[in-house]
Amino acid sequence: MTGAQAILKSLIKHGADRVFGYPGGAIMPLYDALLDSPVRHFLCRHEQGAAFAAIGYARATNKVGVCIATSGPGATNLLTSLADAKLDSVPLVVITGQVARTSMGSDAFQEVDVLGLSLSICKHSMQVMEPADLQPVLNRAFAIAKEGRPGPVLVDIPKDIQQGFVPEDVPEQPAEQPLPQAKDTAIHAANHLLEQSQRPVVYIGGGVSMANAVPQLRDFLNRTGLPQVSTLKGLGSAENHHSHYLGMLGMHGLAAANLAVQEADLLLIIGARLDDRVTGKLEEFAPQAKIIHVDIDPAEIHKRRHADVSILGDLQQILPALDCHSQKSSWLERVEKLKQRKAFSYAAHQAGEDIDAPSLLRSLSDLSEEDAIVSCDVGQHQMWVAQHMQFSHPTRHLSSGGLGTMGFGLPAAIGAQVAEPDKQVMAVCGDGSFMMNVQELGTLRRYQMPVKILILDNQRLGMVKQWQELFHDERYSETDLSDNPPFSQLAQAFGIASCEITDAAEVPAALKTMLEHPGPYLLHVRLDHKANVWPIVPPNTANHKMWEQAR
Amino acid sequence: MTYDLELFLSDQPAALERVLQTTRYRGFKISQLQMHNSGAGLQLSMQVSGPQPINILTTQLHKLYDLASLNIEQTLPQTA
Ligand SMILES: Cc1ncc(C[n+]2csc(CCOP(=O)(O)OP(=O)(O)O)c2C)c(N)n1
Repeated sequence: MTGAQAILKSLIKHGADRVFGYPGGAIMPLYDALLDSPVRHFLCRHEQGAAFAAIGYARATNKVGVCIATSGPGATNLLTSLADAKLDSVPLVVITGQVARTSMGSDAFQEVDVLGLSLSICKHSMQVMEPADLQPVLNRAFAIAKEGRPGPVLVDIPKDIQQGFVPEDVPEQPAEQPLPQAKDTAIHAANHLLEQSQRPVVYIGGGVSMANAVPQLRDFLNRTGLPQVSTLKGLGSAENHHSHYLGMLGMHGLAAANLAVQEADLLLIIGARLDDRVTGKLEEFAPQAKIIHVDIDPAEIHKRRHADVSILGDLQQILPALDCHSQKSSWLERVEKLKQRKAFSYAAHQAGEDIDAPSLLRSLSDLSEEDAIVSCDVGQHQMWVAQHMQFSHPTRHLSSGGLGTMGFGLPAAIGAQVAEPDKQVMAVCGDGSFMMNVQELGTLRRYQMPVKILILDNQRLGMVKQWQELFHDERYSETDLSDNPPFSQLAQAFGIASCEITDAAEVPAALKTMLEHPGPYLLHVRLDHKANVWPIVPPNTANHKMWEQAR
Repeated sequence: MTYDLELFLSDQPAALERVLQTTRYRGFKISQLQMHNSGAGLQLSMQVSGPQPINILTTQLHKLYDLASLNIEQTLPQTA
């Protein structure tokens, strides 16, 4: 068996029968072997797009996503996506070709030190220097990518190892880093704090979904009825219709969520890391609250805030052991009132009016299938998606959280559609972000995937423009995109059906046409460039001092 | 604060780089460093200082797959 054949065999063994990538010199033996392999390869049009597709695949399934690239520029093109996967804890195995071992270290053609480049943006990286190591390294890569807190693992494989013979696979080693086991004493202490608290709030993060613990979380929330808020990555974990679910917290969080957290005397933080976009001014975040922090990663405990009780371990085991019986009726009344008082209201789509992005997204959420998958880019539209759309599960909402990478939306949607060919998949894109991976229209065209693209076009780098308006004295520097191409015509050049709308009255029919279209579709929505995202917590400000509207 | 760390690493490419990079990124400065390959692995002694509690660094070092063991030998008051 050649190294290339062994790689493909290993992919099949690990359940990675669909992969994304882009060929080139140092990975040619693998692409050659691919022709005779059951592994299905999806050619994206940029390595960043291929890796985002692998991320979309992984996030829609909680399985390991795989992508492949050549050495040199292929490998460097992957770096942004690796960092994205690292910061959002996405399990990936990324295979790069490397120049032959005899050429390594000589500045050979398309040689870069990808191992070195990857160190700080991968959970782990390995270079295969002996044929006998190839399969054990791949086994290890899959194990590391998914164990504990998931993350991306890079495997760099010299061309001659792909071409040469490698020995048969060896039995797999068990997980190497023993996972923390939740301590009974910590669980008792947490339950005690929950009983004693007057104003508890459950703060739900992306770790719940990554631990496959959504059912256990929902059961806990139903048993206890405690008020709940979510991070961007946690959206879809709690049940949207739960009367004490308050939505997203943080910089663009819902007012009720931020106010409840600021008033809380106890935060139960589950699979979250107190990111600065969540806490606002850290010293004034939930100032009266004790903290129970539940996570799989010991490095997150006490990192940004001291935890009064920490529980390290598997959420599937911890959540059923948590409980709270004491009544908190006056707090629950307060929370319900906040939720009512601060609820968003949506405009009817009236003729002659500008299109209101929040109302459009709410209508899209109502019209789409219950388990539709929505990916998005980064900016104002991303926050509107998080605020105004509802998700049946966190795997239904794909958003670049930690790195906040423009250009994520379309390729991630492609990966999700590969993972879930029969589900409705939509990419909600900003006009700026869309152009960052626009080449992936070619991927849609090639595979005729029915991904629906909605471009919310405000002819601006909207989120940056919003900050320039609010915090830089309206000094608009390099955020005008009014010379955008006609997106609808662009789609047509790729053979993708499209439509453009400018008037609010066109919204319901346009959404319906898009959703009912059998193939890929692009809906270009023209917005007024003045619209902003509310609420916003200004920089270095406590969350309860958010601005809820234009001043 | 200044801390003396004793690390034992498997002899993998980039093992040392990972330790140095993690230390820098988490806001610690290295004032002394000694390393030798014992044959069984890399024995590393490192004196670091930084404004943050040492667990900010050690919990991250513990995540390195090349790290076999880590001991904090002693804590000294900062010397100017
Ligand atoms: C790769 C990358 N470059 C720059 C930024 C900084 N940035 C954040 S939001 C934003 C504007 C995004 O504009 P657009 O995609 O049109 O979305 P909008 O905010 O208008 O909805 C920029 C430039 C980023 N997040 N990612």
